[in-house]
Amino acid sequence: MRTYILKRLLLIVPTLFGAAAVVFVIMRVIPGDVALLILGGDSGQVDQKQLTAVRQQLGLDQPLPVQFGTWLWGVLRFDFGTSLWTGQPVIEELLIRLPLSLELALLATLVSVLISIPFGMIAAVRQDTWVDYLIRVISIGGLAIPSFWVGILCILFLVIYFGWGPPLEYTPPWVDPWANFSQMVWPVVTVGYRYAAVTTRMTRSTVLEVLREDYIRTAWAKGLRERVVVIRHALKNAMLPVITLIGTEFAFLIGGLVVTETVFTLNGVGRFVVDAVAHRDYPVVQALVFLIAFGFVIVNLLVDLTYAWFDPRIRYR
Amino acid sequence: MATTTLTHVRASVPLAPRLTIGQEVVKFIRVKPLGAAGALIILAMMVVGAFSEVLAPYDPYHADYGLQFARPSVDHWFGTDEFGRDLMSRIIYGARIALFVGFTASFAGCTLGALLGVVSAYAGGRVDLFLERLMDILLAFPQLILALAIASILGPAVQNVVIAISIPIIPRAARVVRSTALSVKENVYVEAVQALGASRRRIVLQHIVPNVTAPYIIMLTAQLGGAILAEAALSYLGLGSAEPTPSWGLMLSGSALSYAEKAPWIAVFPGIAISLGVFGFNLFGDSLRDALDPKLRKG
Amino acid sequence: MATGIRRHRTLFTVVALAVLAGSVVAATPVAVQAAETPRRGGVLLAVIGADPPSLDPHQESTFANIQMVAPLYSTLLQIDPYNYPKVIGDAATEWKISPDRLTYTFKIRQDIKFHDGSPLTAADVKATYDKIVFPPQGTRSIRKIHYTAVERIEAPDPGTVVFKLKFPSASLLDNLASPWNVIFPKKYLDKDPNYFMKNVVGSGPFKFKNYTRGATFEGERNPDYFIKDRPYLNGYKFFVSTETSVRAAAIRSGRAYIEFRDLPNSEVEAIKKQLGDKVVVQETSQVGQFGVAMQNTVKPFTDIRVRRALTLGFDRYTGGKVLYQLTGLRDVGGLMRPGTEWAMPQAQLEKIPGFWRDAEKSRAEAKRLLTEAGYPNGFKTVMKNRNIRLPYQDLAVYVIQEWRKIGIEVENRPLETAAWFSDGRDTGNFELFLQPTVEFMDDPDQFLNRYTTGAPANYGRFSDPALDDLFSRQARTVDPVERRKLVIDLQKRVLEQVYYMPGLWWTRRVVHLAKVKNYVAPPSHYTNQKLQDVWLAED
Repeated sequence: MRTYILKRLLLIVPTLFGAAAVVFVIMRVIPGDVALLILGGDSGQVDQKQLTAVRQQLGLDQPLPVQFGTWLWGVLRFDFGTSLWTGQPVIEELLIRLPLSLELALLATLVSVLISIPFGMIAAVRQDTWVDYLIRVISIGGLAIPSFWVGILCILFLVIYFGWGPPLEYTPPWVDPWANFSQMVWPVVTVGYRYAAVTTRMTRSTVLEVLREDYIRTAWAKGLRERVVVIRHALKNAMLPVITLIGTEFAFLIGGLVVTETVFTLNGVGRFVVDAVAHRDYPVVQALVFLIAFGFVIVNLLVDLTYAWFDPRIRYR
Repeated sequence: MATTTLTHVRASVPLAPRLTIGQEVVKFIRVKPLGAAGALIILAMMVVGAFSEVLAPYDPYHADYGLQFARPSVDHWFGTDEFGRDLMSRIIYGARIALFVGFTASFAGCTLGALLGVVSAYAGGRVDLFLERLMDILLAFPQLILALAIASILGPAVQNVVIAISIPIIPRAARVVRSTALSVKENVYVEAVQALGASRRRIVLQHIVPNVTAPYIIMLTAQLGGAILAEAALSYLGLGSAEPTPSWGLMLSGSALSYAEKAPWIAVFPGIAISLGVFGFNLFGDSLRDALDPKLRKG
Repeated sequence: MATGIRRHRTLFTVVALAVLAGSVVAATPVAVQAAETPRRGGVLLAVIGADPPSLDPHQESTFANIQMVAPLYSTLLQIDPYNYPKVIGDAATEWKISPDRLTYTFKIRQDIKFHDGSPLTAADVKATYDKIVFPPQGTRSIRKIHYTAVERIEAPDPGTVVFKLKFPSASLLDNLASPWNVIFPKKYLDKDPNYFMKNVVGSGPFKFKNYTRGATFEGERNPDYFIKDRPYLNGYKFFVSTETSVRAAAIRSGRAYIEFRDLPNSEVEAIKKQLGDKVVVQETSQVGQFGVAMQNTVKPFTDIRVRRALTLGFDRYTGGKVLYQLTGLRDVGGLMRPGTEWAMPQAQLEKIPGFWRDAEKSRAEAKRLLTEAGYPNGFKTVMKNRNIRLPYQDLAVYVIQEWRKIGIEVENRPLETAAWFSDGRDTGNFELFLQPTVEFMDDPDQFLNRYTTGAPANYGRFSDPALDDLFSRQARTVDPVERRKLVIDLQKRVLEQVYYMPGLWWTRRVVHLAKVKNYVAPPSHYTNQKLQDVWLAED
């Protein structure tokens, strides 16, 4: 087990390195020159000399590997550079937006896990009954409905029928819980609904699988009450793939964040990435994607470790 | 001793009588009604997409300026949009785009991913390590963000959307297939077979591939719905199909909400179309998974 | 009867005077709403659709910049907020123009203080305009070309600024009233001309409070503002929200009071329906138009017949009706805003191909021209465009549909901002593209400069010496009648040669809650953003 953990930890480094390199290259390949953007404006007049000067200022005239090296060195010291678009340090821009996205992601995950696991289990235990069908239909429906459409319908419904508009500014929950709630509740629903559907389905299918296992049948034959059997054995072993799913779906969650933050115009990290890509704001895109990758890798690592803990085949390797 | 055939290892289960295709279908409908419903939806969508020219009452690009924002009526079953274009015709043609993107992207992504997964699992060692690293790197990017970045490079166009969506699918398919292949590899049967001297190729073909086929097909049908959704999301964000293409996601972008009070059908019907289509794929895929998983077959 | 009047002579006089006073008051411009006394206090909450790239108006041209930052600064001259396009002073109290029109002398107020306490003097004005007219290396000045007539700027004493010109410029005074020409303190400019891209030190009615990109921009009242007892507001706050419907929802729910740029008609109708007389909608035509630029150096657009076919194929009159509901594009006109003194008279306009009233006739002629030019079955081409719905994409949809009718298949290629500049507009790498022309004032220099050879905004890369000549002549012609003739001739030439295809002129709908008082929406969304005289009837 220990070697497993160590191996996994060590493997993070090349992964992140690779991810950073990929991002770096992609951003340089996209057509669009940030220097031109900065100088261009709506009624652009492009002075070649000014263009060169700006590019020099931004360090864009260095060869790619040098730029990459400089950037990496900065990252190790937690310096992600300065946004080419706003002129503020990337870290600052990020920290402003992080609380909102973090809260949205965590709440959505929490809510969906709390909903999906019990429902998934019920559906599996009562397979092919109307309960099962209902839960399946709802969860499949949830997967099928585009999240931005849910967001659109939410806004539509709220605006037209209740004349209600969401608060325009983010207030952290410890400052004003009610304002925070009223701003976040609908985005959380929009992101979480999908996520809950995915996890319900997965829970159901893995519990179903487990319920067919021989040793479950054995336990059943021993005469324990059905509920104990299901909860103790099925849950423990069904947790495995579900936890894995939470890890892999986390990335999908980020995608959901992007779209939801766009629909509800929340000033979060998701929307920031889209804006930064549009503006060719390399430092921001690199930093954000790198950090997202980092977070994701950590989450996956934790998931893998939990997986390994529960799977005797790996644990005792 | 000559090579022992392994026939005696194959489970000898009394075979059920062979059914005709028709009887299989009826059985499927009876046993898995939800799946059958899903299949029906998919079929309907494919028919609509294939025969758009015949089914659509109007040219999806034709704008009737006197009839902007027309309510659903006998002439225009789903009403018209902000340009006076018939919404139903646009939705019908939209099926074609959704299906094209969905099938192509998920098929390409899943197949490539499955290949990589099998190779990775079976080759083991350094190949496995390298491929795993590569997949991990790709997996480090959230699906939409990666698709977004790729779509930005390539520009908004249908073929670019396909590429942008299929790439994030590859590592995900690879991961699933690899873990299944791994578990097969470590299964007692296979170890026994290996001990008896069966060739690698035989193991792969006779044991791994059949066991991997089920998750592959499941993954495929699962990703189909996702691919259609991804196309809608990218078009919504302005990175997918461009106007005046009748893409469902594009129809929902920005202005749909602005016109929603005046003409709610603009925001409603394309969303229903997307949801219904993906719903069909998911229902079918779900039941397919149930049916294909040998451990879950009843009796 | 006569006895009665005589007896109450005093009363009668008083009444007569009151009636007289009342009619004078009634005749005074809108700004003086006699019945209401401005209320002090409150914070104006506004929604805005974008973030500016930087905070320095000299270097930007987006509404996002000027709307957020204008209340924090003063300018030398300004356009009267309640009387467009009259030019009045801001930091300048009076000015003299020499008879040969080569010297402009301005007197600067002596009681203006910057927000850091230092006084605003002529030296600051000179430094500011030096930056605008002669930008130092590494700084850009977007509107530099409008000041080519200026030879040098002098500040002989703290209260006087003098502009010396090389040749007479009819538009100079108007251009000096540009809202973009905010006055910066010299001492910061000397250290770093780009200082104000991220910092604010102004002398306006409001002081900079806070800016969180993507979220909010706040200003608070300047207690030492040089106009006593202004501003009325305690502050203002912009909420940034890129989604139009969210901005509209904000106004509907009262979370925001005003949107300064434009809301589409459908949202406006919905808001009016819901809020009734609690909301005010101000609609004007706007100083801007959207059209299509053709790359004149690329086939088939080298052929005037093809260009003419394109403009003939575009039914502008129907377009105005259709697009007005969606995007606000409405008016058919030439290269200057219809309804202004510089506009080509409608009768004259309608004789030019592309502006005929009969759409069928126009299309037939277009097809004929195409056949003659060698394209009997039309051709395929690509139109690059900005990836913004309103009005770019909507106009594209309409125009593409129109051209299909004459056999030209146009593929719409939206590009997001970065690619738009580098892969299209500025490099000339396009066949067709959708070009906006939006300025702060109906000034011929501003609008027509782009039709001269080598002008930065001449994206279609055409060159016509006749145009160059007409332009430089009109720039120097001070007599308005003479100038008008030249301006119209210039337009006629561009339209007949179809170097550029104007599309439709824009309108503007500013929606605000009724409690926002004393704000008048001018035809440009760049001007009247100082909020100096705006007040809130209630919090």
